[in-house]
Amino acid sequence: MIHLAYLDAGSGSLIVQAVVGGVAGVAVAAKLYWRRLVDRFRRQPTDQR
Amino acid sequence: MPTAPVRVRPEPASFRDPTNRVFHVGDEVLRGLDAQAAEHWRALTASTFFPALVAAGKVCATEDAPPTLVPAGVPWAAVLRHERIPFVSHPYEWSFTMLRDAALLHTEILRAALADNFTTKDGSAYNVQWHGAQPVFIDIGSFEPVRDGEPWAGYRQFCQTVLYPLLLTAHLGVDFQPWLRAQVDGIEAEQLRPLFDGTRRLRPGVLTHLHLHGAMQQRNAAASTTDVRAQLRAAGFSRELLLSTVRGIEKLLHRLDRRPTDSHWADYQRTCGYSARDRTAKEQFVTAALTAGTRPRLVLDLGANDGRYSRLAAAYADYVVAVEQDPAVVDDLYRALRAEGQHRVLPLVLDLADPSPGGGWRGVERAGFAERADADAVLALAVVHHLAIGRNVPLPEVVDWLAGLTAPGATVVVEFVHPEDPMARRLLANKPEGLFPDYRRDAFEALLAARGQITDRLELPSGTRTLYRAVLGD
Repeated sequence: MIHLAYLDAGSGSLIVQAVVGGVAGVAVAAKLYWRRLVDRFRRQPTDQR
Repeated sequence: MPTAPVRVRPEPASFRDPTNRVFHVGDEVLRGLDAQAAEHWRALTASTFFPALVAAGKVCATEDAPPTLVPAGVPWAAVLRHERIPFVSHPYEWSFTMLRDAALLHTEILRAALADNFTTKDGSAYNVQWHGAQPVFIDIGSFEPVRDGEPWAGYRQFCQTVLYPLLLTAHLGVDFQPWLRAQVDGIEAEQLRPLFDGTRRLRPGVLTHLHLHGAMQQRNAAASTTDVRAQLRAAGFSRELLLSTVRGIEKLLHRLDRRPTDSHWADYQRTCGYSARDRTAKEQFVTAALTAGTRPRLVLDLGANDGRYSRLAAAYADYVVAVEQDPAVVDDLYRALRAEGQHRVLPLVLDLADPSPGGGWRGVERAGFAERADADAVLALAVVHHLAIGRNVPLPEVVDWLAGLTAPGATVVVEFVHPEDPMARRLLANKPEGLFPDYRRDAFEALLAARGQITDRLELPSGTRTLYRAVLGD
């Protein structure tokens, strides 16, 4: 279980709000994940996270 | 103006946001603000949405405190004075519809704030208190200017303290109160997800707010919120999107409803065996007790059921807290009081034999019921037999407990149901024979007399119930 601090919005809780917001929100979430993916490929192999 | 030093008492429930803190000075409820919070307050008073919400009674009335009120040595940039909430209650003492109305108030306020470039930094059910059956938002320190491109920071907390408890009751028919009482931060997604498996995943709000939310929390546990905020902004998260998220939550809240249950207590007033003559005599006795002395500030109606005597008491007192054990009965009472526009009767879910204990940090962050109950009058009508026979509480303990709920000199109106009464007989039939030899009218009367003064008594026309008016523990 993840115990988050008070006034900590929580990273997952921020992202999921886009999805809750409807079609436009899903597009925002998709864009965020796409950017993360592209970012990961760009950084490999020098920056393994 | 009094010149004697007044005691400053920090509010034990107000420490989680270091930028501001509530404290009590005498009877005043004050809030200290640091420099940044003071700046936000000034912007708030200049906004259009905030004064409108205060005027509508949806946000607790707040003003700048005159400097003379602030004790020396209080290290704040500004100090505010709040109106007093007549009786502080906790979300685990509310019924389903109360929690839902509190949620709808929260989202309404958030929408109004967003339209005026503000947001709330948290989303806790504890931000809401009550004026009778009207919810009121109390956390003025929660408002801050909104930053474009950012989701609602209070969403996770809103899910844990509001939405998940509502899902639990609306979709599974499980009372949320014990869950909220056990955990001051509310229900975690991971605790609830196993209960919503199979086709239950498809119930309104479950797939996104619970399952997807829980999964996202786990997948992003290592990502900082600062990074994620920047990523969301870069991906095009907008104010319109935030507003549509809030509207989506509101739509869901409207769809959630309590599942009807067969409640034993829901029929109590019909099946409890009072004759019309008994009822009239009882109402006259209660009225006489409440009007005999100075007007009571706070009346506790213990075992309020459908609120008949709470409403009666509200005619002669400033505020009435109607305590009842069955969440379904409290929910019906709340809905009725709300329809009547009642602002002076607060219905609460509470088991008298297991009242709310202190909770949160050091057990004082959320004050227990006994700490808050300091009534000028207590109505204990048809409850003593439930405690003494139903719950095996020794009769002397019951009388001591009644004395403990009252301020010195307060009036107690207590009904003793004789062992021969049909309701008492029904309770006794479930217990081993001869278990309560001391459950007698004369024994009860002696206990009352030993702990105070009986000022009035009346045997109801049915002949199996006696009412007492007493002043205990003075």
